[in-house]
Amino acid sequence: MILLQLRNELWKLFGKKRTYLGFVMFLLAQAVILLVFRFSPASRQMGRLLENNGYDMTQFLSPLTAATFTNFWLAVILLPLFGALVGGDLVAKEAEDGTLRLILARPISRLRLLALKWVAGAIFSMLLCLALGVTGLLFGQTCFPWGGLFYFFPGEAFAVFEPREGLIRFAGAHVFMSIAATSVMGLSFLFGCFNVKPAAATILALSLVFLSFIMMNIPWFNDLKPWFLTYHLNLWQQLYGEPIQWGRIGESLFILIGINATFFAGGVAVFSVRDIKS
Amino acid sequence: MITLQKLTKIFGGRTAVDSLDLSVPKGAIFGLLGHNGAGKSTTIGMLLGQVWPTSGSVLVCGHDVTRDRHSALQRVGAIFETPIFYEYLSGRRNLEILSTYTAPTSAARIAEVAEWVGLAGREDSKVRTYSHGMRARLALAQALLPGPELLILDEPTNGLDPEGIHEMRETIRRLHRELGLTILLSSHLLSEVEQLCSRIAVIHGGRKVFDGPLSETRANPSRVHLQVDHFDPASSTLLAEGWITAVERPDTVFLTPGRTVGGIVRRLVELGIEVEGITREEATLESFYLELVKTARLQQPAAGGRPPALPPVQKP
Repeated sequence: MILLQLRNELWKLFGKKRTYLGFVMFLLAQAVILLVFRFSPASRQMGRLLENNGYDMTQFLSPLTAATFTNFWLAVILLPLFGALVGGDLVAKEAEDGTLRLILARPISRLRLLALKWVAGAIFSMLLCLALGVTGLLFGQTCFPWGGLFYFFPGEAFAVFEPREGLIRFAGAHVFMSIAATSVMGLSFLFGCFNVKPAAATILALSLVFLSFIMMNIPWFNDLKPWFLTYHLNLWQQLYGEPIQWGRIGESLFILIGINATFFAGGVAVFSVRDIKS
Repeated sequence: MITLQKLTKIFGGRTAVDSLDLSVPKGAIFGLLGHNGAGKSTTIGMLLGQVWPTSGSVLVCGHDVTRDRHSALQRVGAIFETPIFYEYLSGRRNLEILSTYTAPTSAARIAEVAEWVGLAGREDSKVRTYSHGMRARLALAQALLPGPELLILDEPTNGLDPEGIHEMRETIRRLHRELGLTILLSSHLLSEVEQLCSRIAVIHGGRKVFDGPLSETRANPSRVHLQVDHFDPASSTLLAEGWITAVERPDTVFLTPGRTVGGIVRRLVELGIEVEGITREEATLESFYLELVKTARLQQPAAGGRPPALPPVQKP
């Protein structure tokens, strides 16, 4: 029964065109970034950087490298946007449309309904990250030959990995990215449980994520970084570190699980006492 | 089938439903009548566990909705004023989705209900292509899928054209006759209630102002139109002699219980007053309702409340 009900939520979610907005935008963004990278001096600059550090650029200007740097900013900026968009819709859109009243004329508990919707939102977030990774690699494959992974973040990271290890780290980063996307979805979901419009839930969640991002990047707040949500949302970046900071990943993972549980419990608490009216 | 006891709902400082007692017997078509904003939809919301009562109790099918909503709503179907669905999905998929919130439903059962409501052949079309009438049928289908014993209809004919209204009315009769359902029909359309219900409750300003069989609303023989040369002296005499209880100018008097129109005519003739015409007003649900609401409005300021604006009584 619960699987049938989850299937329903997925039907509803993936039956809507706007659900695919994130997938389409990622495809477009990846294509544009990759084309600009391939046919501009940027790829030559990256090659020079590799060669200046003693690496053969032909081995590391690869689909893995291209997909990693393409997906980096998409994951930081666009992923929260689409996670929040879907999270805000899950409850608030149904309340706004009036279908929530139709559902709650049935003997399903509000807790169960919210749990089903949250799981559907989490599945969406995971699929979005999976699609981001796969399409990134496919686009990269059209421009560069297969090779190792080069990860560079000015002032913070410079790492090269053999193709096999690079692929494992790339896949792992996208798994953790999906946890981050689920967390933003969960924040938006929490706001959607209040009596607000879906857009309001999305904007509120994004505002908090961006505020956290801004504060985290103010140099004077460097010591406070672990207190910001985005610090933990960026746990996937640790997969490109050498060596991998598993302690930091474990800490962020633990905190994100706690935050998600709190968001969900908050949503249930608010939604359970709400009057659902036409 | 439904028992409400001292049911009250306060939104902020506004009392939407005020100490409502109601009992809907099994097998009845029960009309919940009141103007827009009278508290009907809030009451239905509380019946379905969508709106939490401030106080009082709600029993549906013998179960307390606030404590055991799952058992209470197991055999309940509901239709709301505007049939809203997942527009981007087919009618069949909508039915599959909604029925699963009660219990898994077989494809055969969905096909059977679609056939019953007259949706067969269109159930695989997207709901966005449906006419308002088809949406109303889909609404009915989703309500019937769990095999309900109780059907709650909140303004089910809203937005339908006259043909659609007629069709919905016939369907409600058929549901009652063929499936033996208990039906709670909330409406502000007097004719709809008059044609369908055997018993009604009238809500005004969140309060119940009448509860009884429909036949009782027609038993209002006291209002009489009297046409005489000089209405004022004639009515004053009748009032003084106890033939009537009240006078409403320009030509209406209210018979004292036990007195007859014939008696009044004889007395007026004895008094030498020429009677040009006398007609007992035929009591209708409309006149009954308007009288109730008028009385309720007069009583409300005395209780410290501000009378709500009375919307026009609509006729289909």
